[in-house]
Amino acid sequence: MDELLEQFLIEARELTAQAADDFSALARDPADAERIDSAFRAIHTLKGSVAIFDMAPAERALHVAEDLLAQARTGRQLLSAGDVATLIALIDQTDRWVDAMERDGALDTAANREADSLVARLDPAPHVAADAGDQDWFSRLKVRDAAALAGATTNLIAFRYRPDADCFFRGEDPLATVRQVPGLVALAVLPITQWPSLAELEPFQCALTIEGVSRASETEIRAAFHLVSDQVDLVAIPASTQPRDDLPTFITNAAASLRVDVSRIDALADGVGELIIANNRLAHIANDVARSDPRLGALVRDAQAGLERAVSAMREAITAVRMTPLGPSLQRLPRLVREMADTLGKSVSFEMRGERTEVDKGIADQLFEPLLHIVRNALDHGLESAEVRRAAGKPEAGRLSVEVTRDGDHVVVAVSDDGAGIDVEGVKATAVRRGLLTQEAADLLDDGQAMRLIFAAGFSTAAVVTTISGRGVGMDAVQAAADRLGGRVEISSVARKGATISLRLPLNAIMTRLLIVRAGGERYGVPLDRIVETTSLATAGIHAVGMGRACVLRDRTLPVLSLSRLLGKEDMPAPIAKLLVTETVAERVGLVVDGFDERIDGLVRPRSGLLASVPGIAGTTLMGDGGVLLVLDLAELIG
Amino acid sequence: MTARLDGDCIRLKGACPVEDAETLIGLLQQSAGATVDLQECGHLHTAVVQALLAASRPVHGAPADDFVRNWILPTLAKI
Repeated sequence: MDELLEQFLIEARELTAQAADDFSALARDPADAERIDSAFRAIHTLKGSVAIFDMAPAERALHVAEDLLAQARTGRQLLSAGDVATLIALIDQTDRWVDAMERDGALDTAANREADSLVARLDPAPHVAADAGDQDWFSRLKVRDAAALAGATTNLIAFRYRPDADCFFRGEDPLATVRQVPGLVALAVLPITQWPSLAELEPFQCALTIEGVSRASETEIRAAFHLVSDQVDLVAIPASTQPRDDLPTFITNAAASLRVDVSRIDALADGVGELIIANNRLAHIANDVARSDPRLGALVRDAQAGLERAVSAMREAITAVRMTPLGPSLQRLPRLVREMADTLGKSVSFEMRGERTEVDKGIADQLFEPLLHIVRNALDHGLESAEVRRAAGKPEAGRLSVEVTRDGDHVVVAVSDDGAGIDVEGVKATAVRRGLLTQEAADLLDDGQAMRLIFAAGFSTAAVVTTISGRGVGMDAVQAAADRLGGRVEISSVARKGATISLRLPLNAIMTRLLIVRAGGERYGVPLDRIVETTSLATAGIHAVGMGRACVLRDRTLPVLSLSRLLGKEDMPAPIAKLLVTETVAERVGLVVDGFDERIDGLVRPRSGLLASVPGIAGTTLMGDGGVLLVLDLAELIG
Repeated sequence: MTARLDGDCIRLKGACPVEDAETLIGLLQQSAGATVDLQECGHLHTAVVQALLAASRPVHGAPADDFVRNWILPTLAKI
């Protein structure tokens, strides 16, 4: 892709997000001067950016929005709720235009029509002349009085006064009225068509129009014209549409930040990962050396400790560089929610909180799609229709929120709605009908387990092909994404009150915490975030149930599998079974292992080469002693 | 009478009310070459200004009335 376009796409997304954020604040308080200012700047810059490309319709629409905001900025013209709604529609449309530029490198044929309709809704003239044919008086005035307007340092108002033809008979004197207008900077007395000859002139018929420009406030001007207000049009002229503080802002930004290709940061992160491993290995060597030569061993250990401090500082720095606020990744969400709600014919008030929370870039990049599935699901299945909500005594507009919070070294992205909640029995029935499990198995599930069925592959076969993803993907995609990111999906629901589905993801994706387990005489790494708990119990407590085995753990029946057998090795029976409990899509499962060893931080490399075809292996990591540890993908292994 | 013909010059004196428009038009028609002197005029009724604009005669003088001097005179001079 053209580098300029690439840069534009990044910037345009940021600017539309900024403007959208400002407009949603202005929807609550249309007089918020800071937001008006910020939105103005974003739209102004955006307009400048689109001008570089073949995006004339976008430029036109943004120009009108800029005018409207410029007026609001002077405080002369308050934004109405309708204005803000149109501005939001405009920014949504602009975002779609940016999509089109990214996809096709050009706007489609509908763009002109879309721009026209937005421009018509945004016309900044406060008092549009009754007859549309006459609206260009203002343009002519701007040309005629260009000198007076150019010299103005304050905001101006242009007026046009069209006295009635028989106003003289009523004792009116239009110029005496205009004399009362304070702060005149320009005045013209013009013929309605052209001046008649003296012979044709009707002395007592008024055949002129008076146009002028004043630096007084709208109130003062209206006061002067108050007896003839029906004959007067006013148009505000902002002092300057070029904010003077633009340049310094850009200069500061340029000096303070640097855009770097993510792959370069990734290369650094990989390097640090390797350093950590090399350092772990050095620690082992130090121990070996100390056994044969304590003095030399102490020296090596000392050097290794210094290296370790430097490496951890570096790791922290790299981690911090990769941390990015979630906001930009979520910026399209409000627009998509509005579009989806429109498609579904539902009214929704959408709120996003905590989008400034910083997460690892890898997480931020991959969060959007699963989040969109959850949001779509909530809009489609969670929120009831307006009639149902009314009958239930709820406000017609459903509430949907996305809240991002930090919880230790995890980020939790919770999507909550105030809809009907998840119909547990309905979910079970659907799952049985689709052949995901038997009726008997379904009957055994508690509510929490039953709700998780919505994440099972094949549950939402009805998956609607949406305009958003363009393909039918069910909630199983959410579970898959959470797994991929080393996270979990949590779900809670209260009947008739609503549901919350949360993605719990690690903040930091560089190193994976692993627990080393023994099974079938080998050692394996298991990502800690896949482990619910580790425990041990008497082997006698594990019973054969049907084809498999199960035990009772904390009053719940837990299916039990042997990790050795899953890996195709022999069981080594012991009187006390060590159990690793993990969570799969629909239920928890206990895995019998031979023993637990230490926990390590490992850089997990995706499986490759020969290993690529081995199921149940997520990848490999290098151990401190130089050995290779296979890291298990428990979900796939149990699958 | 605030509008009168003085040789080749029509002088407007003091405030000129609406009635002066008809008189002024008469004077302008009567002497096609006459210029208009606004030196001593006060407020000019819109009907009077309209007559002057239609006549398109050279105007001179600097009336004491700010509004007429600053805003009406330039309009008349442009014609």
